[in-house]
Amino acid sequence: MLVVDGLTCRFGAKAAVDNASFEIAPGGFVGVIGRSGAGKSTLLRAINRLVTPSQGQIMFDGVDVTALRGRELRQWRARSAMIFQQFNLVGRLDVLTNVLMGRLAAMPAWRSLSQVWPEQDCALAMSALEQFDMASLAAQRADQLSGGQQQRVAIARALVQQPDIILADEPIASLDPRNTKIVMDALLRINKHFGITVLCNLHSLDLARTYCDRLIGMSAGRVVFDGAPSALTEHIARELYDLEANEVMGGTPMPVPEGIPALGTAAAA
Amino acid sequence: MSRRPHIEPEELRKRYPQVFDPPITSRLATPAMLAAALAILVFGLVDLDFSVSRLINGVGQLGWISLMMLPPDPGSSLPIYLKALGETLSIALLGTTLAAVFALPVSLLAARNVIPSAIFRFPVRRFLDSIRGVDTLIWALVWINVVGLGPFAGVLAIAVADFGAFGKLFSEAIEGADQKQVEGIRASGGSALHEIRFGLMPQVLPVIAGQVLYFIESNTRSATIIGIVGAGGIGLQLAEQIRVLEWQKVSFLILMILVAVAAIDWISGKLRFAIIGQRAVA
Repeated sequence: MLVVDGLTCRFGAKAAVDNASFEIAPGGFVGVIGRSGAGKSTLLRAINRLVTPSQGQIMFDGVDVTALRGRELRQWRARSAMIFQQFNLVGRLDVLTNVLMGRLAAMPAWRSLSQVWPEQDCALAMSALEQFDMASLAAQRADQLSGGQQQRVAIARALVQQPDIILADEPIASLDPRNTKIVMDALLRINKHFGITVLCNLHSLDLARTYCDRLIGMSAGRVVFDGAPSALTEHIARELYDLEANEVMGGTPMPVPEGIPALGTAAAA
Repeated sequence: MSRRPHIEPEELRKRYPQVFDPPITSRLATPAMLAAALAILVFGLVDLDFSVSRLINGVGQLGWISLMMLPPDPGSSLPIYLKALGETLSIALLGTTLAAVFALPVSLLAARNVIPSAIFRFPVRRFLDSIRGVDTLIWALVWINVVGLGPFAGVLAIAVADFGAFGKLFSEAIEGADQKQVEGIRASGGSALHEIRFGLMPQVLPVIAGQVLYFIESNTRSATIIGIVGAGGIGLQLAEQIRVLEWQKVSFLILMILVAVAAIDWISGKLRFAIIGQRAVA
């Protein structure tokens, strides 16, 4: 059980996350939605402790995550696996080594630093790659893969961390529609098969409704919505995105302008 | 009917005046800079006694020396010269390697993304700056007085002088590394050491290797120069032969140096491509 209580993250005078509170039960697939700059990223990064919260508390199974230091902090980071929009793989390392990075917190430093990986960890990494059809590329350099392949490697890295929760920060924002589906399906599979909680930032409402069983809506750092996708009314969506709701919901298509506007008039319109 | 957009120059001129009528200052900037540069050049030539007549008189001498150099001939000293060339190459290789080995850990301490605190970083940077402020030749003169004449002083001179240079270059390479890759390691539960080993080093090592290879090449020339002041190697032979006006031997020595530098250039080019190539590094 993840409990976020009064979490505030300030950068200078601006509060990126402002007094956010919610609880997430194990096994859920929770989407965090909202505009760019609403604080979704900072929220996830604060849970992984890449960002230090200014105020408030994050508890996981009774452990105060905000107070962890040193070795315990690193082990928490392994337990709360991050997946990034830009994948954050090490480009010049091969795919297998990238996945093995997920085991760093679980082995003595001399082993990892001298790259004497335990056979069991290698097997774990290869089986994770196999699940996403990436095992044949294990010896390739990560920066030679396509975006979709890199994100699958990143998911494999997250999986071998044997996490309790996966924090996915806009995992599909750099991907094309086909890879979007592959990556979101992979996250869903991890969630359903292994029972790992997934907390996923998305800016597409359609995707959020398709995959998530609960949505948390953020606006200007605050949690403004928390409930089932079906409870997200047009009115709330409009407030979240500061737009006409049908543009967000993909309901009625945009009206086609009559005739073709003359060059130069489009900007003025 | 034309499909081209209709253009009204007068309208556009009115809307974007700075494009069509740039202010006089920006139009004069380039000619003014050129005039200033020319003035500095003329002043420098006058101040440093640049004299065409002396140059013309000297050209005859230069031609005479060039004629004396032909054909290049080592006489009976070829084995000595080869040994001296080997010594020079060893000075360059050893000195550069030592400099790189010691500079790598120090450069981490000078990099903003490894040591965020300016208070700790500042003294390291100034330390590297002051070492770098003294040229290899000066270091050679210093070390000759400390450890005596010979190649050992040459190795130390290159190692110390390039330690300063490498420290700066490496730390800049480290600062230019992509932080997202490092963040990936941190978010997976890696320690600071892991972040350096797996996040930074794979990105930085190819750059560093390229710099070290280039320095080995350029230090082959430096090692020749410091040889002249007594730090061993082929420079010593060169200075000797110039002093006794054995121009055929001088030209032979110069050719030997040229061939050696070209060979190192070729080898380091091959190595550099092998290192920055497609293979995964760890």
